[in-house]
Amino acid sequence: MIEARDLAKSYAGKAAVSGLSFDVRPGTVTGFLGPNGAGKSTTMRLMLGLDTGAGTCTFDGKPFTAYAEPMREVGALLEAKPFHPTRTARNHLLMLATSNRIPAQRVDEVLGLVGLADVAGKKPSTFSLGMGQRLGLAAALLGNPHTLILDEPANGLDPQGIHWLRELLKALANEGRSVFVSSHLLSEMALMADELVVIGKGRMIANGPVEDFTKLSVRNHVLVRTPQAGELASLIGAKLAGVGSVQRTGDSELTVTGLEANAVGDLAFDNRIRVHELSTHNATLEEAFLEITGNAAEYTAHAPAAAPTTPQEGAR
Amino acid sequence: MTAAIRYEWTRLRTLRSTWWLTFGVLAVGVGFTAIAALIVRVNVHADELSGGRLDGDMARFYVEAAMTQFSIVDPMFYLVAFVAAIVGILGWGHEYRHGMIRATLTAVPQRWAVFSAKYLIVGLWVTALVVTSCLLSLLVAGVFFIGIDVTYDAGDILGTILRHVLYSVLVTWLAMSLTVLVRHQTFALVMLFLWPMGIELLVRTFAIMISGFSHNDVYANAMRFLPFNAGGRIMQTFGAQNDTFGPYHDLTTFGDPLSALGGFIVFGGLVACLIAAACAAFSTRDA
Repeated sequence: MIEARDLAKSYAGKAAVSGLSFDVRPGTVTGFLGPNGAGKSTTMRLMLGLDTGAGTCTFDGKPFTAYAEPMREVGALLEAKPFHPTRTARNHLLMLATSNRIPAQRVDEVLGLVGLADVAGKKPSTFSLGMGQRLGLAAALLGNPHTLILDEPANGLDPQGIHWLRELLKALANEGRSVFVSSHLLSEMALMADELVVIGKGRMIANGPVEDFTKLSVRNHVLVRTPQAGELASLIGAKLAGVGSVQRTGDSELTVTGLEANAVGDLAFDNRIRVHELSTHNATLEEAFLEITGNAAEYTAHAPAAAPTTPQEGAR
Repeated sequence: MTAAIRYEWTRLRTLRSTWWLTFGVLAVGVGFTAIAALIVRVNVHADELSGGRLDGDMARFYVEAAMTQFSIVDPMFYLVAFVAAIVGILGWGHEYRHGMIRATLTAVPQRWAVFSAKYLIVGLWVTALVVTSCLLSLLVAGVFFIGIDVTYDAGDILGTILRHVLYSVLVTWLAMSLTVLVRHQTFALVMLFLWPMGIELLVRTFAIMISGFSHNDVYANAMRFLPFNAGGRIMQTFGAQNDTFGPYHDLTTFGDPLSALGGFIVFGGLVACLIAAACAAFSTRDA
């Protein structure tokens, strides 16, 4: 169980993280989302006592720095390639293991688990980004910890690797562990996470089950196809009474928000209106995320201006 | 603390650079000793020998000078210490250069323990390195002295080795502290050599010039307090006297030149201050 309370950090007077409080419960994968520069990595470092700041974070009731052998309690992956390039993968893990009295046998186990057994004696300088991530994951799993904190663990992994990671984290959560993971791969997060912590510009935007988060999106709507679109639109408008909306999106098509599909169907039936299609469109996590964090992005790109027409093209 | 010691010990011995530098130190020590002993062998004059026997201060000078690559002589310096100090620079430098510091602190979150263990283990490594270098050098020097009956006191040899160990460990800790403070191993590496061989040399040159123009020796005399100049006095038991090298006697702590104790107080004091600053910085800033 992770309990973060009032985490805060500022750089040169500018708040990077401000008053973040959340829980990560055992048996769940909690996704940590936010635009670039939102403060996700800073938050994770604050949680582990790596950065100085305000607030508290406890892991099963104790701060990270209070553990004598913390790798047995909390496994962390914070860097893309957190190792010396010429120390072999096995020696890297052995170094971490000896400090926490983890048997050397466990080093070989986790190397096998992450698929690096064949390169255990190789220097990580030859590793791809994905292999580096796997080595970082092996380090996080070394102490068989109850809690995992992983910052962008899917970065650099190939599709098979991402699938493996998803199954691994879900399996670990199913064993009763607390898994806190940040990622930009929203489709992956949608498949993997049970709960979400969403931040923007260092502040909490949403915190709770994934379903609750996607329900916040205005992109959730009911699509109706009916030859009596005008008549049904009037009835729905009266029923909504200002809460939600109904829009004609075609000659015989309506898009409705604020009413469930069954309510729209009942309304049509009661008024003898023929309906050809009645479907619910649920917002994806990506749609909800983009909509809700739209104003919280620290760095935004602009669409490139149209390329100027060359004289030759203009002459054609 | 034991967790940090286990971590640091494994970290140090599983790095290839540690072994390269270790062999480098031994090669520098033994190689320079071979050259020094050869020079000694060629230049030992028959009139210094009494029935093929070399003893007294002269024997002590030749043996210890060969063993320590002449660093017992004021104002020579001990190259072995500077090469060994690179082990310390890399000890901290790799943490920052390769982002290892966060992995380190997630394995051992007690910063004071990480900090202390690093100084302790690297200090012990450098101690073993200097002792080995001295003993190997003594062996090599012995080969060059075959045919000459050299008598010397084992206590003097041990004392000389301990002085070199002390100096080397202090240089290493100074280099480590610089690395922690600037978090840049290349800068620390450059400073390790530039400080004694460039900056102090320039300061001394200017001080002598000012003393010369002003007819006031106070500036030139104050140069004995320059850190590496003072640090060298820990090892330098011989100086140029009456057209030859002879052992220093009856030096006062902060006289000119400084005694070994005076040198230790000045140089050791600076190192202690740098370690304290590095510890404060490491304990309080973001990893």
